[in-house]
Amino acid sequence: MNDEPTLPTLPSPRWPRESPFGVGQKRSRAAHTDTHASSSNAPSSSDAVFSSDDDPALDNYVHGRRKKRYVGTWYDQQPASSDSADSAIGDETRPGRMPLSRPRRRQFKRQLDSGVWMALDEAPTDTDENDSLDLAPAMPRLALPVPKPPRSMLSPEEETALAVVRRCVDEGREMVDLSELGLKTLSNSVVESLSNLVPIPTVMKDVAFEHKDPSIKLFLSRNPLKQFPGAIANIEHLTVLTLRATRLTELPGSIASLKNLQSLNVASNSLRYLPGELLELMKKGSALNDLQFHPNPFFQPRDHSPSGHGRAEYEMTFDVDADPQPLGNSWNGLTTSLLSRTPVQFFNSARSSLSDFSLPPLDEHLTADSRKIEHEDFWDLAVPKTIAASQSHFQASRDGTQRQRPVGATSLHELALRAAARALQPHELEFIKQGEYPIRNPDVVERAVRIHRAGGQKCCVCKRETWNPLTEWLEFREVLRTHVSTSVEDGESRTIETLVRLGNNVDECYVPFVRKGCSWACIPLKAPAPSPEVVESGDMTDSELSSASQSS
Amino acid sequence: MAANRDEPSKYVTLISNDGFEFVLLREATVVSPTIKAMLRDGRQWREATTGRCEFPDISGAVLEKVVEYFQYWYKNRDKLDVPDMDIPVEICLELLVAADYLGLDSKPPLPSHGA
Repeated sequence: MNDEPTLPTLPSPRWPRESPFGVGQKRSRAAHTDTHASSSNAPSSSDAVFSSDDDPALDNYVHGRRKKRYVGTWYDQQPASSDSADSAIGDETRPGRMPLSRPRRRQFKRQLDSGVWMALDEAPTDTDENDSLDLAPAMPRLALPVPKPPRSMLSPEEETALAVVRRCVDEGREMVDLSELGLKTLSNSVVESLSNLVPIPTVMKDVAFEHKDPSIKLFLSRNPLKQFPGAIANIEHLTVLTLRATRLTELPGSIASLKNLQSLNVASNSLRYLPGELLELMKKGSALNDLQFHPNPFFQPRDHSPSGHGRAEYEMTFDVDADPQPLGNSWNGLTTSLLSRTPVQFFNSARSSLSDFSLPPLDEHLTADSRKIEHEDFWDLAVPKTIAASQSHFQASRDGTQRQRPVGATSLHELALRAAARALQPHELEFIKQGEYPIRNPDVVERAVRIHRAGGQKCCVCKRETWNPLTEWLEFREVLRTHVSTSVEDGESRTIETLVRLGNNVDECYVPFVRKGCSWACIPLKAPAPSPEVVESGDMTDSELSSASQSS
Repeated sequence: MAANRDEPSKYVTLISNDGFEFVLLREATVVSPTIKAMLRDGRQWREATTGRCEFPDISGAVLEKVVEYFQYWYKNRDKLDVPDMDIPVEICLELLVAADYLGLDSKPPLPSHGA
């Protein structure tokens, strides 16, 4: 240090003594802390701060030593810290130096040339915000209430259910038992994680590893559920679903997407009917082979011996046997056989009934007598006068394919709801119902929300999605346990089909299935009126049901 | 328009709350019972005589889509398998309110009427 050329005597500082960085608070790092370190003054950030790194004393740099620090240009230097002239000593009163004043309290104000914004500012006076960008004007829109974020809070019961589901997913267990948890609702978020369930494969020696699809079994019995949790319909590998004693009033059509479902139990609910879509799981080749649906307060036909004439025409309304699946050598499952249907109930978009026939509303309590529904012959089709007068295309729409298709444009209600449902979650759609929204028919929206929650609804005739079905009717079918076996004898294949009717009495044999159409043209096909002698064939059903019928 | 009161114009004008005017076929508007009632002959309503309907609750962007729907409905009245009209998601709720206000599909439209 001694052979280092000394700097000229430093003049007195020309600026007020302030901290160089405006940061007056002491650093907490003890090694660098010096009570007088911030006594130097530099209001501007343009002044360089440098240290004398070339100090040979730094070679044995020890605790307490500090680098020399200088602020500003060299010719008006004074050491930045009081001890920087000889950092080892830290002498405050060096001869020939001005005694340093105690550091003043920091003043909070903006240093105009610093470019650094310090603690306290005046109100921003920047003109940045006034610089208007040349943007297109926003689309004018109604003052709609902002949708509230979903309440992510699950009820304590759902938390329990979620814990069970998580444990099952973690351990790869396929049996998910959520029964008797007191679930009033079941959020989709609880159910959704089940789709990720992958069973842990059993690895054995000398057996090649094989990927196995899970077969998830979900038990939800004895929970006071009011609504079918729509997310269940998305669990592709669900094989067993038990919804026994759960107070459901309606099953959604989306249940038909559970193609791997083998066993479904919906007994002891408040179901008035089963969804017509369920019939897709009850045809030859489908996996479903166990269906428990009694007891339920099902609608019953008033008349038990309707004429069977025109059934084939009616079945052609839907593509029932569109893609027959191969049955293999033997197949066990469920099939149905059509018995009768009710008249069609027509609605307008506001959900008021236009036809004379109407089904009792779902929330109405039904006595055994009011559950009896009239039937309509397959060659009859009552269409309200207003609709019949306006739609001359009821006949015209029968083209070569013998299928009725909607004529004309889809209603704007339907289109708007469809667009809304694509973009919004059910709870977001739900706020439209609230009072401040200027809609006259909140029922329509409520219905759409319900359909949305349950996983969507498709028109049974034209298969388009619909949020506001305009036609509705029931069909009564009997459910048959069916066994088909094929054997080859003498080069000739023989198919033996065994049918056993489910149900203990006549009432239980008539199972109602609901059909919903998206437009007034989506109605059952009308069979041609029978000639008088054909009407006699009304009791065909029993002869068909001989315990084994053979066909080759 | 008011001059030939005996023979009403084939076209009507719909005016949004921000002043956009849409002129379209009278027959295309009969899908809305609300508009049909406004334009009905025999009543001395201003709309019926001038053929101009103002909608103080419907903005131009929404009314444009409504008018597009009227045309779409009119064009496809008797057609099978009509492709769906595209509805922008941003205004679907406003359209729902507008459709509700205009009473679309609350009654079956009678094509013979207004033709």
